[in-house]
Amino acid sequence: MAVTGTAAPRAAQKGFNATSLAVVAALICAAPILAVAWIALTGDTGDYLAHLAQTRLPTYLTHSAYVAGVAALGTGLLGTSLGWLIARTQFPGREFLGWVLILPLAVPAYVAAYAWLDLSTAGGPLYTATNGLFPTIRGSWGAGLMFSFVLYPYVYLLARDAFASQSADAYDAARTLGSPPWHAFMHTALPMARPAIAAGLALVMMESLADYGTVSHLGAPTLSIGLVRAWSGAGSLVDAARLSLVLVVVALLIFGLERAQRRRARSVTASGKTRPAQRFVLRGWKGIAALSFCLLPLALGMFIPLGRLAYLALSEPSTTNLLDASLNSLTLAITAAIIAAALGLSTAYALRSKGIIATMSARAAGLGYAVPGAVAAVGVIAILSGTQQILDPIWRDLTGAVFPILLTGGAAALIFAYLSRFAAAAIGPAESALSRVTPALDGAARTLGATPLQTARRVHWPLIVGGLTSAGLLVFVEVLKELPATMILRPFNYDTLAVIAHSYAADERLGEAAMPSILITLVALLPMVFVARYLSSRSAGGQDR
Amino acid sequence: MKFASAVLATAALTLTACSQPDSATSDTIQSEQRVVNVFSARHYRSDEHVYAAFTAATGIDVNLIGANGDQLIERVRADGERSPADVIITVDAARLHRAEEAGLFARTDFSQLAAGVSDHLIDPDGYWVGFTMRARVIAYSADRVAEGDITTYEQLADPRWAGRVCIRESGNAYNQSLMATMVAKSGEEAAEAWAAGIVANMARPPQGGDRDQLRGIAAGICDVAVVNHYYYAMLANSGQEADQDAAAASVLLFPNQDDSGAHVNISGVGIAANAPHSAEARELVAFLLSADAQRLFAEMTHEVPVIDGVEWDNAVLEAMLPFREDQRNVSELGDQNATAQRIFDRVGWQ
Repeated sequence: MAVTGTAAPRAAQKGFNATSLAVVAALICAAPILAVAWIALTGDTGDYLAHLAQTRLPTYLTHSAYVAGVAALGTGLLGTSLGWLIARTQFPGREFLGWVLILPLAVPAYVAAYAWLDLSTAGGPLYTATNGLFPTIRGSWGAGLMFSFVLYPYVYLLARDAFASQSADAYDAARTLGSPPWHAFMHTALPMARPAIAAGLALVMMESLADYGTVSHLGAPTLSIGLVRAWSGAGSLVDAARLSLVLVVVALLIFGLERAQRRRARSVTASGKTRPAQRFVLRGWKGIAALSFCLLPLALGMFIPLGRLAYLALSEPSTTNLLDASLNSLTLAITAAIIAAALGLSTAYALRSKGIIATMSARAAGLGYAVPGAVAAVGVIAILSGTQQILDPIWRDLTGAVFPILLTGGAAALIFAYLSRFAAAAIGPAESALSRVTPALDGAARTLGATPLQTARRVHWPLIVGGLTSAGLLVFVEVLKELPATMILRPFNYDTLAVIAHSYAADERLGEAAMPSILITLVALLPMVFVARYLSSRSAGGQDR
Repeated sequence: MKFASAVLATAALTLTACSQPDSATSDTIQSEQRVVNVFSARHYRSDEHVYAAFTAATGIDVNLIGANGDQLIERVRADGERSPADVIITVDAARLHRAEEAGLFARTDFSQLAAGVSDHLIDPDGYWVGFTMRARVIAYSADRVAEGDITTYEQLADPRWAGRVCIRESGNAYNQSLMATMVAKSGEEAAEAWAAGIVANMARPPQGGDRDQLRGIAAGICDVAVVNHYYYAMLANSGQEADQDAAAASVLLFPNQDDSGAHVNISGVGIAANAPHSAEARELVAFLLSADAQRLFAEMTHEVPVIDGVEWDNAVLEAMLPFREDQRNVSELGDQNATAQRIFDRVGWQ
């Protein structure tokens, strides 16, 4: 059912003044990246980039493509198949697995890399047990594998939501016309879920391109390695910023491809809500096979790496008090997640208006994800210190003293950095959720006399709350494990679990890094239990999720 | 209307960004309690004991931000006169040099403050001082390499070691400072030939940390490795039996004992140019060089004290000492860092 679309922009513009608000919020999120671009474009020109082009640049580019490609392939296969199994089939343990499968996302990729390399390196337990036959997890394929193990929940979460909300009609029609189930899946369910899968893959690729910790430990020479070397080795922040612009351009390309997917998918998206699909009941060995398949990624991304660390932890008991750090992590992550979900939703509404400014600001807000955290943090510092330099003299004229607050010194600076970095994680899913609310639905609601607010509350909200919760969860987990921006922007004496885990791991004390790493996943569990309960209580009314 | 809502939104977001009280300025209110604000690139949790001992000895509270050295420099630089930083600590002389060039340090008279510290560990311009030494040394297999087979860094590039060398990636600050030393010592051309020789001799592409290089020797992947001395000590003192075995499989060698000496880098400290508590900062620097702190560093992080005659108890470290260290001033590491990086790029050292 194709969408006519002419009424949509007007309705959105008339109904909500959210557009301009969302545009401003999105631009604030984009400001640090714009600051990085400013640093890159106005800085001194040296010969470092020329040197790089002659030496390492081609290697950096090919390995970036390699890592992101392996990550996309791995997360795409895992996430889509898991999403389908959880959303459309019934087997023992399915409901429990539904949200447990998200948990590996809480394991920082660098923690997984530390543990897997420790297991498989020459002299490690896997190496010794297999007489050196088990390959050492390293290099670009190793890094891609690590991202597949811990980032597949992006794809899984969005694909699951998309599969769950598909009506049975298209699929049943294909079956009635004689297509075998696999064929029907490939030609109806998958194309309908494609925007969500593409949104997940876009996040995976951007995160793996921007990663530093994992690729540096496993020896995968990606562009972000080159960028950090430009900064740390050659001492040129300007050239690092320039290289990060390359990543921004790549992110724009990925966004473009994702958009194209979404446009193609539009023609097959069923509008409105019809009969929910029946689950396939998997019995006997099929059920066991499904269960085992779902346990596999949990083992690879969570149980094996954290188990190895826990084993090491037992031999080196840690005395660090982790309570304060846990509370700090939780507070930051919840605050950022709620603000980001609201921001994602309002930006998604703004995007509905199809205005060029709205579109561009939303895209700009999403770019923070594409830049390594350390460089993004420099953008945040530049914006805050720039603002400070404007505020201080004004305040001095008014009161005779400098502005009482140092902007870079508070926890708010951190929230700002998180929003700037992870807005894409909220905007993509929110947009994907909102795409289910077709303009025709708005039209119908308005025809029936609903006010815009009533339309939003009674028509939009039930359809988008699942996707929006996913958006909040993604940001929550991202903030829990975020490292570089947290390190540099945190207030005095302010530790988070990720910071403590890293300071041990960087010191090659894996055992002591274990407890904070395990706590990160436990803290991530808390909201997931809450969210899982909320969603299942909603679906008790009839919707099957 | 639209404009008004846009302005409101901006104001709201700016307010959220500013409404948090921050601990750095609130200390001006409670002025009786003396504090010192430390920006440190040392990621050792054991430093908490050092700061606790400092507070116990002086009554001065320590506020700490720990992050990567480049990031610390960027934050202090951006905050300018408003920076709350009193002291800046890094684990690499090249970073100290960079902070100095960015004008972040106050010139300090170290003649009294750092009495007993060798001249080559103090910045000749008087902006910073080293308070611990870390040596980059060679480990060789106890079984497959005979004593005397290798005694210098230069020999690592010898074809005799083809396919037998384990060393980590070149982004690592300690590899960079070792390369910077080689440039300072024998010039860019010779240093590049040396680097190319090592790349040709590598047993495997660079991967993992320093401990993984030692494990590589134990597993028979390579026969010689380049590591910082304290990683060997950590492995030897580990609770894991496998770690102790790995350490036992290699012998630690302090290179070039007959000529230039072993390459050392430092943990160093400087007082910030805009330090709000410069008196307290001086007291902290003095404490880092005191017998108490030096003993903690030797015992907890296996770093080499910079003050002679300090009592400490650490059998593994004791067995390594004494050794002859490179007497070249560590500030030269900063001068040659960019050149070192380019050499790595040219020879294809990952």
